[in-house]
Amino acid sequence: MARFESVTGKYVYLDVQGVEYRVYFEENGRGIPLVCQHTAGSDGRQWRHLMNDIDVTSLYRVVAFDLPYHGKSLPPESVEWWKEEYMLHKSFLFDFHTEFIRALGLERPVYIGCSMGGHLAPDLALERPDAYQAVIGVEGNICSPEDPMRMWMYHPKISNDFRMHTMMSMMGPGSPEKYRRETVWEYGQGAPFAFRGDLHYYFAEHDLTGKTDQIDTSRVGVYLMAGEYDAAVSPVEGRALADSIKGAKFTELKGLGHFAMCENYGLFKTYLMPVLKEIAGKP
Amino acid sequence: MAIRFLNPKETESVRSYLNGDPEFKLASRYVLTNILLEVGNSRCVVKVREGQVSELAANPVFFDACSFFVRGSEDAWNKFLQPVPPPFYNGLFSAAIRQNFQIGGNLEDAFSYFWALTRMLDVFRELQNK
Repeated sequence: MARFESVTGKYVYLDVQGVEYRVYFEENGRGIPLVCQHTAGSDGRQWRHLMNDIDVTSLYRVVAFDLPYHGKSLPPESVEWWKEEYMLHKSFLFDFHTEFIRALGLERPVYIGCSMGGHLAPDLALERPDAYQAVIGVEGNICSPEDPMRMWMYHPKISNDFRMHTMMSMMGPGSPEKYRRETVWEYGQGAPFAFRGDLHYYFAEHDLTGKTDQIDTSRVGVYLMAGEYDAAVSPVEGRALADSIKGAKFTELKGLGHFAMCENYGLFKTYLMPVLKEIAGKP
Repeated sequence: MAIRFLNPKETESVRSYLNGDPEFKLASRYVLTNILLEVGNSRCVVKVREGQVSELAANPVFFDACSFFVRGSEDAWNKFLQPVPPPFYNGLFSAAIRQNFQIGGNLEDAFSYFWALTRMLDVFRELQNK
């Protein structure tokens, strides 16, 4: 007897900033919509463990997409993308999320995102406070100063191998090797330029310096988390972001690194479930 | 802690252990380079030739030229080589972006061969704790 998951995948056509995108997404569960944003240079597969967890899917309709140019979401047909440098912009992310929520008819959704998605959580809370009822930012920071390493994330002489094995060292040493390897596998599959292009938002456009006190957590709940082993955003930096937002809640992810949801979901779940239950009003 | 890959008396056993690692063999099969490892004031050069370490030269001399180097204090290496390293010492990239290690020289080579390089360092950790 074949074994099937209850996760389903399909495509939706979204018009974002005047361009039509064919966007792949997967979903599972019933309840409050939980929209999952993947990290820079990867795709929605990072959320597969969460999406298959009945403790989550009995409370939430979990939805994870691949951003255009990532995973199964191809570049748009109407753009000669091979003639311009790919760069991800904050305004695109905002408009993409707005359009995705509208197209799927999601009511009072909750957002969760990691790394680039972790940065996006407080950005959404500040600039699109009505898009989500709550945001969960994993590995978000007030600002990530430009890192010269970014320029090496696309280089004609250097393969995706490099991106795989840089990311390998961003995870907790106690995370199961099979899942650390799976996480970097996804980095081996991205378009060569996608990671660096995504990091444009991460390094150059995300900057909440002096703005976090404007986030109103009575309109949108803000939950922040940072992994003990994340060299990109340490718990010190994650906590500083949370402390700067009145009403935000912070969880340190002991033993975890940059990719909590896919490097060691079992451990991540112990930190995440209380947050998901609180948002769902099911203590 | 005496670092085994720096010890001239252990050169052959370290080289043999590394060459017996299936992942290192796979990762380094197209690699042709010399890597300088600096631990405080101590140094060694690892010569990698198509899936094998051909020579591990402790206390290298000027003609043991290298393409790139990984440099850290003795304290940083000791933390890196622990069986469960502390945060920001658990991998070369995380240690480098937190400035606990420096990577220099020909960065095109260093980053092209990053899999082999990082696997080699992980094997050194494994060997250190055997």
